[in-house]
Amino acid sequence: MELHPQLIQFGGSLIAILVLAGIAWALKLGGKPKLHDDADVARVADEAEDGFVAGRFSISRDGAAALARDQAGRIMVIKRHGNRFVGRTLNSRARCREEVDGLVVDTAEAAFGSVRLSLIDASYWADAINRL
Amino acid sequence: MPDFSPTQYAVPLFVVAILIEMIWSRLRSPEAYEPKDTLVSLAFGLGSTMAGALLGGFSVAAVIAAYEYRLFDFGEQWWLVWWAWPLAFVLDDLKYYWVHRAGHRIRWMWAAHVNHHSSQHYNLSTALRQTWTGSFTFGLLFALPLVLLGFHPVMLGIVGGFNLIYQFWIHTEAIDRMPRWFEAVMNTPSHHRVHHATNPRYLDRNYAGVFIIWDKMFGTFEAERHDEQIRYGIVKQLGSFNLLWSVFHEWIGMITDIVRAPWRHKLSYLLREPGWTHDGSRETSDMIRAKWQERSGQVQSHPDNPVANRNPIAPPHEAA
Repeated sequence: MELHPQLIQFGGSLIAILVLAGIAWALKLGGKPKLHDDADVARVADEAEDGFVAGRFSISRDGAAALARDQAGRIMVIKRHGNRFVGRTLNSRARCREEVDGLVVDTAEAAFGSVRLSLIDASYWADAINRL
Repeated sequence: MPDFSPTQYAVPLFVVAILIEMIWSRLRSPEAYEPKDTLVSLAFGLGSTMAGALLGGFSVAAVIAAYEYRLFDFGEQWWLVWWAWPLAFVLDDLKYYWVHRAGHRIRWMWAAHVNHHSSQHYNLSTALRQTWTGSFTFGLLFALPLVLLGFHPVMLGIVGGFNLIYQFWIHTEAIDRMPRWFEAVMNTPSHHRVHHATNPRYLDRNYAGVFIIWDKMFGTFEAERHDEQIRYGIVKQLGSFNLLWSVFHEWIGMITDIVRAPWRHKLSYLLREPGWTHDGSRETSDMIRAKWQERSGQVQSHPDNPVANRNPIAPPHEAA
């Protein structure tokens, strides 16, 4: 059986990209940055939405997520995405539920997904988000 | 007639260059790559090739039909007219500037082009993050003037291939600046980093493909600054490595907006700039930049806003 040349080209390309991605993984490229302090959260919040000046912050214990609130009462959830951070300003469709050691924020955006945070002041944020 | 596709020959070089940059990244800047992001970028490249093969037929038929109505004829052996090649390359790059600018300023075009910008990384694999849906836009129209001038579609395909190959190497943080004379004329890693940035000062700047002179001529040039760290991607970062979502998210968003909008605004959601809404609920790049300028007191050194306008002798409508 002879394979169509374009099919061979597709198969070869697919193998090549898997190998390249595998090499990136084997070289330990990327890493897992953490949010350490308020300055980190402020920087990421401003990057996610230019001009978002966070007044109150809470960083998840693992440093992989955070919540920030600005003076206008807007709340942003921040999560680690690969080795970068992304944020979403929450709207009234967002939902939040408390768990044993923190809370889960559902952004109501399927592709972005929900964010799990381990926080000391989980109740404060749960109330604030569910009242949006 | 030449039967030659420069990009096919360049693919092995792309692979080798990405490997070299990965090793550089390992030694100097491990955060420059992220394996999942790399996989998505490369899958974009593969899918784009497949989409081109499956959907490109209409475009090819259209330009061949248009060629029959050409104003000038380079003869049956048009490929032997040597000076037509560099001329076609330069004019094709001018065409690229405008189609690229439209790709950022018209949401219909942006729906296809956003794919190239959706990574938060800037490395050689990002260069291969090419669209799957370009055939569903009107980008082809930008090529018609060159075809009607008499440049054969095959010639335009070949010079366009070289244009694409040139743009591959500028997607890197491994090179800081090229020699000054080169930076003045050519598109470079420094100029193109600006183009991929989401910092307000850099939004919708440096559309050039090969020659940066087009941006300088048409008022869209912005130089990279060392005092401001660039952040890459799109204004509303995806936050997902889902390939299909990455490919189609803006099409879904645009069609949803069109369906929901009042009738008199529907066309605007197709043809106005990304971020535009009839109720002002989102922001365009111009609005983001204006707010940032107001907040920070920054005024850009930009040809659209010359020094004379920034430092008027007297306020408007007032004698000096």
